[in-house]
Amino acid sequence: MIRNTRMKRFSIVSVVATVGALVFSTLPAQAADPGVSAKEIVLGYSGPLTGSAGQVYGKLPGAMKAYFDHINANGGVYGRKIKLVVRDDKYLPTLAATQTTNLVLNDKVFALVGALGTATHSKAYAAASLAKKNVPDLFVNTGFSGFADKAKYPTTFTILPSYAMEAKIMAKFIKDTPTLAPQASFLIAQDDEFGVDGVNGFKLAGHTFAAPATLYPQGGLSAALAEGALTKLSAVPGKPVLVLFGTTDSTATILKAAEKLSLVSKFNWIAGSVGGDANTLLALGVKPATINGILAASFFPDAKDATDSYVSAFTSINTKYNKGVSFDNVVLQGMNSAMLTVQSLRAAGKNLTRTGLIKAIESKGAGFASAGLVPLNFSGSSRVGYNGYWFGQLNEKGELKPFGGKLTTYTTDSSSTSAPTASSYERKPVPKNGVPTNS
Amino acid sequence: MLTSLSSGAIYALMSIALVLVWRSTRVINFAQAGQAILTTYIGYEAVTRSGSYWVGLICAVISGALLGAGIDRFFMRPIFKRVNSGPIVMIAPVVATLALLGIIQAVIGFIWGLSYQIIEAPISTDGLNIFGSIIAFSPFNLMVLIAVTLSMILLTILFQKTNIGLALRASAYAPEIAKLSGIRVDAVRTLGWALAGAAGGLAGMLYIPGSNLYPNAMDVLLVFGFIAAVIGGLDSLFGAVAGAMILGFAVNFSASYISYKLVFPTAFLILILVLLIKPKGIFSSSKGRKD
Amino acid sequence: MLKGSATKKRLFGFIILGWILLLISDRIGELRQYQGAFVAMYTLAIASIILLTGYSGQLSLGHSALMAVGAYAGALSINNFKLHPVIALVIAVLIAGIFGLLLGYAAARLSGPYLAGTTLALAVSLPTIANQFPVLGGEQGLVFDIGTPPARFGEDFSQYQWFFWISCLSALIMIWFLVNLLSSRYGREFRALRDNPTAAQLAGLNIGRQKALAFSLSAGIAGLSGGLLVMLISGVSPSAFPLSLSFLLLAGAVVTGVYSLKGVIIGALVLVAIPEIAESVVSRIGGSEGFTTSLPGFMVSSLLILAVLFAPNGPGHLLHKKSTLNIKDNSREGNK
Repeated sequence: MIRNTRMKRFSIVSVVATVGALVFSTLPAQAADPGVSAKEIVLGYSGPLTGSAGQVYGKLPGAMKAYFDHINANGGVYGRKIKLVVRDDKYLPTLAATQTTNLVLNDKVFALVGALGTATHSKAYAAASLAKKNVPDLFVNTGFSGFADKAKYPTTFTILPSYAMEAKIMAKFIKDTPTLAPQASFLIAQDDEFGVDGVNGFKLAGHTFAAPATLYPQGGLSAALAEGALTKLSAVPGKPVLVLFGTTDSTATILKAAEKLSLVSKFNWIAGSVGGDANTLLALGVKPATINGILAASFFPDAKDATDSYVSAFTSINTKYNKGVSFDNVVLQGMNSAMLTVQSLRAAGKNLTRTGLIKAIESKGAGFASAGLVPLNFSGSSRVGYNGYWFGQLNEKGELKPFGGKLTTYTTDSSSTSAPTASSYERKPVPKNGVPTNS
Repeated sequence: MLTSLSSGAIYALMSIALVLVWRSTRVINFAQAGQAILTTYIGYEAVTRSGSYWVGLICAVISGALLGAGIDRFFMRPIFKRVNSGPIVMIAPVVATLALLGIIQAVIGFIWGLSYQIIEAPISTDGLNIFGSIIAFSPFNLMVLIAVTLSMILLTILFQKTNIGLALRASAYAPEIAKLSGIRVDAVRTLGWALAGAAGGLAGMLYIPGSNLYPNAMDVLLVFGFIAAVIGGLDSLFGAVAGAMILGFAVNFSASYISYKLVFPTAFLILILVLLIKPKGIFSSSKGRKD
Repeated sequence: MLKGSATKKRLFGFIILGWILLLISDRIGELRQYQGAFVAMYTLAIASIILLTGYSGQLSLGHSALMAVGAYAGALSINNFKLHPVIALVIAVLIAGIFGLLLGYAAARLSGPYLAGTTLALAVSLPTIANQFPVLGGEQGLVFDIGTPPARFGEDFSQYQWFFWISCLSALIMIWFLVNLLSSRYGREFRALRDNPTAAQLAGLNIGRQKALAFSLSAGIAGLSGGLLVMLISGVSPSAFPLSLSFLLLAGAVVTGVYSLKGVIIGALVLVAIPEIAESVVSRIGGSEGFTTSLPGFMVSSLLILAVLFAPNGPGHLLHKKSTLNIKDNSREGNK
């Protein structure tokens, strides 16, 4: 009986206390956006640093940081220095979710830049409540066309041409090339939104493969599996076209399997832009003779082309701030995104807010200077960055040279069936010393 | 199908190592994969410095033996001494070896970093040309098979024909009696661990040239080696090898003909089936020994 | 009666704890709410291991798989069957529990290393099944959306606070249930099973059934924690349940003291705290990428070894010197 009364009393007390706490925990007035101070802007990156994808893309954040260091040494952005917080997600969706949440909650970043991976980032976007918190999600390193959907991803800006775009342009290339058009074609792709996006792109272009696509789990392409797939395909007459839509480590596995089975010359190889980085393929053990002749698409100048103004600017920044790391397409990509980020921050003005940043890219982004040979398409209604490719052929040194000698870029979209069109886009000149002065 | 021989052979090395330790210490050494990969890194260093794969191989095997002996003497024994009462006794060895695995892999990360390294095979890894068609079996695969077969023959001779082998078997079956007959059970047990460690080192140097070297590279082998050992019966070396071969074939069969996605579930199914029918393994001795 | 008042006291204690958590949830900020939800989730997972290994003596390395079963069941309920998230969590418990029952019966004949190995194989193979069946979403996984907080809590009631409430409430209810169960006849039967199965059998216990029952309960609890985990990461995929998760849970259980539920929260706190501690160590002394990534694993493993060596029966026992577990295990045949 006593206990019951005590319990009753305690219950009443705790109810009152709870209500009191709720009433009195007054919420602070709308605070300034996190990650911005008078001295500093904090940006966040989540991507693979270790694991098999990390072998390929681990260089990316270092490249971005090197560029930011260069900017910081030249006055920063209106006096604020840029700090990049990097978190490793091993290309796993689960880790990406927790790491991105940590970037937002723990490291209190102002914006995300360059988040890598389709499955990883789509999970991370939801888990970290990026939409609700209005965290800008700049220049994601993935070609999944879905990220350009403003309704689903209100704070995201893509940069890479989508896989659907790439597939359409690849399909046109196969159709237009006399040595390729009559051959049977096959697709080996990563089994997630990345690969599926590509499959859809080929469908939009009206291209039919000779067999359903071979899909492998991301990170799960074993040598045995590759050998099995290639052995089956070796029975196809002629010189079939083999399109590889996956990350570079998987492309390497397939190519090495072909070496083992002496099937390299059996196929016309087309490597997707994500998996076709020659330098990395060589570093992963693929023989130069195998790489010679592989067809690949790109929207950048070749990273080894020292005559390109952007390449030489970035290369010197790399040498100065990113010691020990060789300059390749991954580094080029990272620095380009970093330069776009700096231009975006500048365009948003001295009174830096998240909303302001997003608006700035929408209104001024299409005019930013960038290394890409295709236009940027940011606008009030479009979150699409680059939208085109040129086709080239790799040589033994890993350089990508334009197919047929002349470099022609084609642009297209991700959702219609209309064919890609040749583009006459001219790049803006590279800012002096690599330091943008836009506003 | 031929590749399954080669992969089965490597699983066999791992399962032999597990069985060796089990028989001498009644412990499942989950750290086996860690020991093996660490000794492979040592082998990698030797290869890089000397330029020769064979030097690396010898270094890996020797360091594997030393490491195995060291772990028994300076890690397992103190644990058994300290933890000798309470229900913790049942799981302490398992937990300890799992923790050791974690520590080894972390230390490898500290020292060598997590980038993938490559160990070049000493001979060609391109498919052999048999009667005009290329098969997915290379001279290196053949070398793996030969190496494992040789090891098994050596081990069998050791166990069946030598005094040390007799001591090893006696200490495992009946430690008290072995002690009474003057066998230095502790030393013999350490020898078992050393042999297991050497087998692991060999397995690593045979496995890595086909793929990449990184701290978790042999985790898959641990699982398969374990399943193979259990299928074959933890008490039988022959069972370990037989189990490994069966598993190797089953895995390759499932990967090629069913779906590569179901490789692990297939292995699990085989395991469960064997354990349901013969809980102590296919080739376990029916000498009525209590677990 | 004695039993009645002990039960009431226990209930009272849990309610108090619930109130306290409710009160502090407002004041601790989103990061702590997020981490707190993880702590609650880990508490459940560790409790499930304590039940299975500590109380009924069966060592399982496969709890990550059991969590996965619950998680996928929950996700499918929400996505495909359009059920309410709370119902989905209940289904997670039930499906995982049924799975655990079947597994328990199959595993009842297994002991020691055979059981450990089988559960290891299960942990490795079960998540990969998701790749085979498109309905399970493959590597991409399925979305698990617990929904936004009810509107009546106001605009500023964050998603993370909602996670915190759901996790803590689920954990409180489940653990209360478990504690009651273990102090009842079932608890005694489980302990008998662990300490001396032969005697237990002679006393009339059906060993196989008891083992399966323990497995089933443990699996159900693990299933719930699996559902909570994927709620926190907004989606379920095979990569959420690696083998290392099983190991992590075992470590948490041993560090807490695998033989008693007292202080199970400590194990969970340790698991959540270690990555934070590792991060601050790295930011202080710097280090290569290899060092940064490997440090948390190193810390967990070292902690585990230290726990085995110096506090095998849990830190609680370290505090009071008198050891309550004086059961000498005569059959020192290593693993059992």
